[in-house]
Amino acid sequence: MSIDRSYQASFNENNQEFVIAGKLRPQSEDEMRPLAEALTNSLAQVRGTFYLNVKRLARLNNVAFRAITNLVSQVCDTRPELRIEVVTSSVMGWSTRKFLPLAERLPNVTVNEYDNDFYPGQSFLEEGGFIPILRNQTKLTWRHERHLLPRHGLKPGMTVADICCGIGDFAVLVQKELKPSHILALDHSRTSLDYARKVAAEFGIADIEYVYGDASEMVIEDNQFDFVTCRHSLQIFDRPELILKELYRICKPGGRVYITNEKNSHCLGEPRGESIQWTYTEVAKLFADFKMDVELGPKSRRYLADAGFEDILVDSFMVTNGDGDPQDFANMIQAWENVFAGEMARDRGDSPEFIARFRQGFQDQIYAALHPKGYAGWPIWAASARKPT
Amino acid sequence: MSGTKPLVEISMGIEAFASEWLHCDRISSYLARMVSHNRTDSLLYANLLSSALNELLETAFAHHGPEGNFSCRVSRLGDSDVIELDLPCDDMTLAFYRDAAQRLTQPDLAGIYHSALFSPGKPDPHLGLLEVAVDYRARIAIVAEKGNRLKLAAELTLEGAAA
Repeated sequence: MSIDRSYQASFNENNQEFVIAGKLRPQSEDEMRPLAEALTNSLAQVRGTFYLNVKRLARLNNVAFRAITNLVSQVCDTRPELRIEVVTSSVMGWSTRKFLPLAERLPNVTVNEYDNDFYPGQSFLEEGGFIPILRNQTKLTWRHERHLLPRHGLKPGMTVADICCGIGDFAVLVQKELKPSHILALDHSRTSLDYARKVAAEFGIADIEYVYGDASEMVIEDNQFDFVTCRHSLQIFDRPELILKELYRICKPGGRVYITNEKNSHCLGEPRGESIQWTYTEVAKLFADFKMDVELGPKSRRYLADAGFEDILVDSFMVTNGDGDPQDFANMIQAWENVFAGEMARDRGDSPEFIARFRQGFQDQIYAALHPKGYAGWPIWAASARKPT
Repeated sequence: MSGTKPLVEISMGIEAFASEWLHCDRISSYLARMVSHNRTDSLLYANLLSSALNELLETAFAHHGPEGNFSCRVSRLGDSDVIELDLPCDDMTLAFYRDAAQRLTQPDLAGIYHSALFSPGKPDPHLGLLEVAVDYRARIAIVAEKGNRLKLAAELTLEGAAA
């Protein structure tokens, strides 16, 4: 008989959190003994609330479930003051439904499904209202990235993952023009994924799998993809290193991870450069208040190096009003203004005077973009690196 | 079942299947991934299908006749997928599955399942089937066939649940 040890368990004393990840399908309770001992020892160390985190537990059979819940029941009987919170994930599909009856039986157990609350500030960017911004951005950046991607190692026939795919338009462009064998596109916004699937269906594209998932804790197995992309996303997570760790994990050894990020304070335009610069410096501060670093672009090399990658290649390019129709550029700025100086500034509690000045910078950049002698720019840093073999 | 399109089937001797517990996990993971690729959310669908299929396989692993062929087939029926396990059975196995089929027709199946899930001592041998019927809302049919054979079919509609 072989025992499958394809699970990982760890305890973090500071968070009073016991994390079980991977797969738990034992044949007998005996196989659960090491995990049960670790869980018992961890429970003995905590007071107040104990977190049992099963967000990344992809598979669990009844033998394992009963072993875990028997142990939890015993502790609840002997320590009625202890609260136990089971943290599940909507990504797994089964886990909330499986653990909820435990909370119904034991008054000191609660089940909390991990969702958007864990990413404060993300709701601005995951709501359907952001779709016009994303569409415009991809249209403008693709002019540059279609040439950059092969330079960063993307070749026809490769297996590609596009993590934080948003509305999936980048994946569609990659599929159409650069001919990978297969693309898996993952995002944590159901609204965006619904849109992505609709667009793919309308264009008859069948080689892209759009899947729901959390980029910082993906259900995807290790070493799966030749080329992993993650665009404009590290900058809007409060802990980008967690996502990079996952990008590294799912990338094949020898494969490459490609990331793009901005440095918003470097957005520019002429005429009216001073007003534009002031507004974009404030954009960076606004995002920082929501725990997002839209200045991350030039830090890409450091992040990739710290994540364990090698052969790091960093490029930068400027999307400008000269990239096709200047109105497209102007539309993108208008969409930014609507969200940044609208809902976000209001939620931060900015004064009407501040918001008026803040809006003016966007309007001045639109003026620069549409001016016959004007110039307006949005700088992007594109970086990639190889996972060591 | 009529109108189904066979997608994939794994077949082996029952001795070979029952010689290794990991077969349940490996077969359920592999088949679920194979048939889920064109579902709305392939990873989520595969995760749910694998969980349900594994419970059925673990039941068959523990309860089957001594010799003969074992097969696991997944077929498509629109938004549903039908899992069919075809296994050898003897009198004891037949009695086990007849009891299961009878329990699955009881009212308050969820209550029966939850009692079994949290019961102390040895686990209820029908627990996996109860779970698939309750948590995955499967329509389960168990039919004894000629030549000491038994067919267990579970129709699962996971597409809506996975969206």
